[in-house]
Amino acid sequence: MSKLLAQPASGQRVSICLLAVALVLYPLVFSDAFYRDIGVTFLLAAISASAWNIVGGYAGQVSVGHSMFFGLGAYTPLLLYALWGWPPLVGIPAGILLSIGLAVIVGLPTFRLSGHYFSMATIAVAELIRIFVGTWALVGGAIGLQGPAIARGWWDLTFRGDLPYYYIFLAVLALALAVTYALEQRRFGYYLRAIKSSERAARSLGVPVRRTKLQALALSATFTAMAGSLYGVKTGFIDPDSGFGILVSVQMVIFAALGGAGTLFGPLIGALILVPLQTAANTWFGGGGSGATFVIYGGIIVLIARFEPGGLFDLWRRLAPLLRRRGHAA
Amino acid sequence: MLLEARNVAKAFGDFRAVAGADLAVEQGEIVGLIGPNGAGKSTFFNCLAGDTLPTTGRILFDGVDVTRASPEAHARAGIGRTFQVPTTFDDMSVLANVMVGAFLRRPHRNDAREHARRIVELTGLRADQPARALGTPSRKRLEIARVLASGPRLLLLDESLAGLTPGELQEAIALVRRIHQMGITIVIVEHIMEVIMTLTRRVLVFNQGRVIARGTPEQVVRDEAVIEAYLGRGARRQRE
Repeated sequence: MSKLLAQPASGQRVSICLLAVALVLYPLVFSDAFYRDIGVTFLLAAISASAWNIVGGYAGQVSVGHSMFFGLGAYTPLLLYALWGWPPLVGIPAGILLSIGLAVIVGLPTFRLSGHYFSMATIAVAELIRIFVGTWALVGGAIGLQGPAIARGWWDLTFRGDLPYYYIFLAVLALALAVTYALEQRRFGYYLRAIKSSERAARSLGVPVRRTKLQALALSATFTAMAGSLYGVKTGFIDPDSGFGILVSVQMVIFAALGGAGTLFGPLIGALILVPLQTAANTWFGGGGSGATFVIYGGIIVLIARFEPGGLFDLWRRLAPLLRRRGHAA
Repeated sequence: MLLEARNVAKAFGDFRAVAGADLAVEQGEIVGLIGPNGAGKSTFFNCLAGDTLPTTGRILFDGVDVTRASPEAHARAGIGRTFQVPTTFDDMSVLANVMVGAFLRRPHRNDAREHARRIVELTGLRADQPARALGTPSRKRLEIARVLASGPRLLLLDESLAGLTPGELQEAIALVRRIHQMGITIVIVEHIMEVIMTLTRRVLVFNQGRVIARGTPEQVVRDEAVIEAYLGRGARRQRE
């Protein structure tokens, strides 16, 4: 009996280890710049979607304005560099702190709303920030900001080639997932899921709903800002659209929803499927490819919403026992 | 006095759902609230649970004014409640549902889980079942288990026994008895007279936002005003 119970858990552990090994080896096996770039893009997408997942998935507060944290995370180190020559190693934590502040300021009024109203409010705030940043000369206006062109030292986090970035991103992804896992196991994780299911019932059991949601948003903002800052530093350039654009927010939602919002590895799986697809679309269709990406996103939203609201992870959880049974029979 | 409501009234616009109700509950009692549909029981109940803010009046719990306290503050103070329409956490297992309640006074997962397991056993549910898979009677039972795990001193039951088969009803009555024996004071809103007659010694009857009768269940069912409220005899007599 105990063996039976242990089986799925150990099976899961094996697949997690395999995934970790594959991610560590990937850039060494595929040393071509094109494949490494896909790898870095995937990790970045997985970090931001996992970050979104904390508040959007577990707590069910579907923010479609997470680009505000991503953009703030990306802009802050580049702005501090442009103004005073501060190294990104200092700028990144500053961006994270600002994002936490923004999360509290935005969360306090918007968490009074629920469902679609909350989603729309987050879109509105992110769009306001994007437009504001686009007209503010100090932060580069519509043109944007640039980071250090040549590293003065390692603390500038400016490297040639993708390999160092790849492993930094991988470490941050591991951290984000480890933190999410730890939360999932604690009271906080149970409270988030209770809030997602019924705020009224949660409150009746003494769950401090508003505080819990704010904490989740702040934590989610922390990792989203981290993803944004890594993006900004790696690209060495940021403008209003690539930082605060709505597509940045929508991507997080779609990656998480496709894989399975509110599950530990769902967002990662979503990114694993969609990032290569996106790259392929860009390669096949060339300049017109970004349009095709939108079409694919739209199609995916429709399909998930209609057939698999739980995402692929949920689908797998239901199908796996059936497949296993069939395997045993054969 | 564990719970005391003084002249509680709640108006929605011009409609006075509760027009000045008093209630005093001693430690260890089971008090029933009955009345026809729309009599104001549920609104009054929600005022007691902190879910609805009364227009006027005061509610004291153990001598402390909780009239304006939030639902979560009510839970922390020791007032637990169930919902008329069960609101279980459907994405979670039965055990996880009960753990959410247990976490209120047991912040560590293992403590909460152990406590929740005992409560689940007591209520006769299956811990590993997903809440989504439960039918309405089990859902109501799960709600009771969940709030019980939060360690209330006063339990407010909102039609938790409605819609059960006779067999299930007997089990549910036994469960409420057991909870009462654990030292928990109970206020129960119920339509089923069998429940009220067997469980409570004191009943308040609501009609049109007012308490029209109070006493033992036996006194109340013989009360002229109560019979009139339920059967509308006065209205019939007027027509004759």
